[in-house]
Amino acid sequence: MSEVPLLEVRELSVTFETAGGPLPAVSGVSFTVGPNETLGIVGESGSGKTVLARSIMGLQPRARVTTTGSVRLNGSETVGASETELRRLWSTEVAMIFQDPMTALNPVMRVGKQIDETLRVRLGMSRPAAKARAIELLEMVGIPSPAQRYNAYPGQLSGGMRQRVVIAAALACTPKLLLADEPTTGLDVTIQAQILNLLDDLKDRLHMSVVLITHDLGVVATRTSHLAVMYAGRIVEFGATRDVFAHHRMPYTRALLESSPRVANPSHTRLAAIPGRPPNLLTLGEGCAFAPRCAYANDRCHVERPPLSAPDAAGHSFACWNPLSEESR
Amino acid sequence: MSESLNELGVLERPEASTPLGWLFWVCVGWLTLNVLAAIFANVLPLVDPLYQNYNVVNAGPSLHHLLGTDDLGRDIFSRIVFGSRVSIAVGVGAMLIGFGIGAPLGMLAAYRRGRFDTIVTTVMYVFLAFPAIVAVIAVLSFWTPRSLLKIILVIGLASVPLVYRVIRTATMAIATKDFVIAAKVQGATDRRILIKELLPNIAPIGVSFLLIGIATVVTLEGALAFLGLSVNPPTPSWGNMINESRTVMSQNPWLVLFPSLALCLFLLCLNFIGDRLRSHFDVTEVKL
Repeated sequence: MSEVPLLEVRELSVTFETAGGPLPAVSGVSFTVGPNETLGIVGESGSGKTVLARSIMGLQPRARVTTTGSVRLNGSETVGASETELRRLWSTEVAMIFQDPMTALNPVMRVGKQIDETLRVRLGMSRPAAKARAIELLEMVGIPSPAQRYNAYPGQLSGGMRQRVVIAAALACTPKLLLADEPTTGLDVTIQAQILNLLDDLKDRLHMSVVLITHDLGVVATRTSHLAVMYAGRIVEFGATRDVFAHHRMPYTRALLESSPRVANPSHTRLAAIPGRPPNLLTLGEGCAFAPRCAYANDRCHVERPPLSAPDAAGHSFACWNPLSEESR
Repeated sequence: MSESLNELGVLERPEASTPLGWLFWVCVGWLTLNVLAAIFANVLPLVDPLYQNYNVVNAGPSLHHLLGTDDLGRDIFSRIVFGSRVSIAVGVGAMLIGFGIGAPLGMLAAYRRGRFDTIVTTVMYVFLAFPAIVAVIAVLSFWTPRSLLKIILVIGLASVPLVYRVIRTATMAIATKDFVIAAKVQGATDRRILIKELLPNIAPIGVSFLLIGIATVVTLEGALAFLGLSVNPPTPSWGNMINESRTVMSQNPWLVLFPSLALCLFLLCLNFIGDRLRSHFDVTEVKL
């Protein structure tokens, strides 16, 4: 992370005006992503992952939403940027893959057309050139007989194939940063690994950086260089992926890790579910948002929110008053 | 699943779609016949639709009068053919005006949202709250002399708020889908999104509403004719023939049956064609 960061998020907060009062979906989030890095963002549903991704893209609606802080994409600010400015960044600097490949493609347009539209609009390619390139892209994402699939409608492709098309469309203009918002959630388990490996492979071939958003720790474990754990709109632990897995300090991270199955466990081991429910963001108190569900919480945790600690030598930081020590793990 | 089917060659023809079927072509034939008859009514060997033959009043179908005669001895077949001119012109014309104004406005409002949407929607809802039929009657009563063109224009404008509401709602359901955002993020301009992403997705709803609209307008023209606010009698239209026949329905049921049948068949064919075309061109579902 020594070079100029490709993506630099500083103190980003996104607050929705709701009937029940202001809802802080994302609060004071900061991180950077360097060239050719993969950052994993994990958290439960409702922890602000998707809002964060959309805010980085500048896609959050302006009405009844307050966004503060700064998001710099290769030097350009996207918070408060006009649509004209954003359009210059989209698809050539940053692209996004959506969660559900069933809704991310226009059902009544041939999949090839959906890719070469981008090439023609953004890169000014001629029709035949764009078509040839679109077929190349389909081949690159591993679609068999791409020339025939070019003419297929989304409804004629399986979920995995559709997600490959979505990826091909997102990568059409070789963006420097790819935001993947739960790219495998809508897919069969057998296809998930294929898609993730494809993303990993493309990242190296196209020299992109990737932000991989997921609720599945298994997904991020081997495929990301850094990991941010989100809870209730805040980053509660950040560090090199290996480090976070091996030396996690925040009880929430531990709870997350324990709630995913392990091959090493004896059979019929019960999964440790996290007790309680994710907090209601409208009624967050002064304390740590995880305190009500935390086995280690003390009085201080309920009244004072722990800040994200300064990163240690390895770049590892966490937000906890009672961090887990080596022994307590 | 479809991947393995692909390997089996089942999906090798991506264009395989529902066949149109023979009934579709019967309907197309019937509509073509209707339209051609309306256009060439003058040169067809028909009795003058206004000629009153008092020797055969309220007669049933016969060789001389294929569909019988009305209470003034006029040939019903001839009047149905000539009446189709007014009915088809009013139905299609008014709906073209309604969609020409209402559909683009509805799509724009649903896609742009914001102040434009608020203003246009408020104006349209004010018009919707006011009974359209009263407005149509009022305008047609005072805007004399009446002509076919004026009738088409007034009914067409009165249908704009209805079309607007249907199209706006249909567009809103599509405009928030991920693929629209994806298209935008991948560089598509607003115009491209409206025409290429949204329009094809709302077209099925638009077409079915258009067909129902034509049916409604044809009957509305009949109701206006009954009030003496459509084309002046004795010029026939399907609507005014049905209305006039109500007084003699008990003596001569043919008189109400045949124009109703003509209207009914016309609309049935339109709807059937619309439905078949929709499933023929539907690409959103896999067909095996």
